[in-house]
Amino acid sequence: MKKAAQLDRRIIYVLVLVALAVPLLLGVAVKPARMTSAEKVYDTIEKLDNSKKQIVLLAIDFGPNSMAENLPQAEIIIEHLMRRRIPFATYSQYALAQPFLGSVPETVAARLTKENNSESWIYGKDWVNLGVKLGSPRIQIQALADSESIPQFLKKDAKGNALADLPAFQGIQTLRDIPVFVQLTSLTNTFESYVQFLKREDFRPIFLHGCTSISIPKAYIYMDSGQLSGLLEGVAGAAWYSVLLKEKFPNRANDSSLLINTGLGVAHLVIVALIIWGNIAALLAIRNSKVKET
Amino acid sequence: MDTWAIATTLLGGVGTLAIFSFLIKENAFYRFFEHLFIGIAAGFGIVVTIRDTLYPMILVPLFGLDIFHYPDGTVSAEYDARNLLFIPAMIFGLFYYLIYSKKYNWLAKLVIGFTLGIAGGMMFEGFFTEMMPQIVGSFKPLIVMEDGKFVWGQSANNIIFVFTLIAVMYYFFFSIRPTTEVGRVVSEKLAASGRWLMMICFGAFFGSTVMARMALLVERLQFLFGPWWKAIQTVVVGS
Repeated sequence: MKKAAQLDRRIIYVLVLVALAVPLLLGVAVKPARMTSAEKVYDTIEKLDNSKKQIVLLAIDFGPNSMAENLPQAEIIIEHLMRRRIPFATYSQYALAQPFLGSVPETVAARLTKENNSESWIYGKDWVNLGVKLGSPRIQIQALADSESIPQFLKKDAKGNALADLPAFQGIQTLRDIPVFVQLTSLTNTFESYVQFLKREDFRPIFLHGCTSISIPKAYIYMDSGQLSGLLEGVAGAAWYSVLLKEKFPNRANDSSLLINTGLGVAHLVIVALIIWGNIAALLAIRNSKVKET
Repeated sequence: MDTWAIATTLLGGVGTLAIFSFLIKENAFYRFFEHLFIGIAAGFGIVVTIRDTLYPMILVPLFGLDIFHYPDGTVSAEYDARNLLFIPAMIFGLFYYLIYSKKYNWLAKLVIGFTLGIAGGMMFEGFFTEMMPQIVGSFKPLIVMEDGKFVWGQSANNIIFVFTLIAVMYYFFFSIRPTTEVGRVVSEKLAASGRWLMMICFGAFFGSTVMARMALLVERLQFLFGPWWKAIQTVVVGS
């Protein structure tokens, strides 16, 4: 019993590894649980009027260290925006996010074009990469929010094109032309900067947020206060969003979020089983030692 | 996959396995790739800062590098003399490095003071913008009625919320000691409830931390089973 209570950590690692690997290798994807916060993100984007001159600001504030959860979120939101023909601009305050700003929209556009050859998504018209803006985030965000001409303030995109010349920015002047702001990150402090300063006296965009599992409890505070209108809770949020998109676009190919979510579910079951095992073994070991003492 | 993509994918897989090898025990293979990662991350940050911020946002406007000179002698735009204001700001910012000088480190303190002043002012404004809706949002009705009917679910939710809020706040409230026996018992029970509720919250945080770590592992496994395995096959089989 003592041995059972002191299971070698490497055996636990192998068990978790097998639990995660099996669904991936077999390609088994179970339907995820319903996430009402993710539905709110979906509904917000679904309700946007694509005939208006407006642009969605998408802050991709994640790097390779949290791409496991944030990348499926970015892909799914970009896909939805592209399907609805709502122009968006990618932007980041995080240096390691730089490769994702351009690559994620390009990958999603290529996948959508493959799905439907008659349609195409063009850089400059459907999306713009504003690049990484390092420095004091709070000052930059406040300056952006107060700007009377965002194309003049930001001047150029990451490729060096003047924003004023790009079709996506035609008619875009102030923060009022950005109806929705989406941030995907594992860095909680960057989100607070946006909540604090991305606003004008009489206007504040609708805030949507995608966080990693680790920061879900904190993100709920903002949901409860109404500062957030929708939340993608880790990869589980992305997986449910994927189901909602599949319902609307049946020809859509399954994405990785469903597979990852299934793997996570199996791994959680293994962890719960190990916790129960550990507790029972520890209790029995204590009981046995008491019996020996008496 | 082209040769460059194959090489980077193979290296990525070897790096992943090297970092995972720490799970067996500390080893030189792991240590080498850990240092490599830290070096790359630091170097990448410097390159992005120069390429995406310093050069396009400061050096280009300051030196008028975006102004084209046409063969007929005309220019695409006039130089904006206001860009020269970057120079005093940059000189002032560079004073920060005088922190290493015994004689002139007081100049660095000016920069630090200036930065702290701005940060403090902005934090003050930001705090109210962020916290006020949360404070207001915590005043929830304990009895929720909808179309004249009592809503059990929402009412129970709000009662739990308000009780948790009061109990946790009371746990950190040390100013008044109850004088009566009843007050002492109520106070102890309330503080104990606060402690238990916080423990539940920490449990939720820990659970979500485990979930996040698992997600990171899944992504790496996907990489190893997908692109990395394909790259190995390409090298070995040649297809």
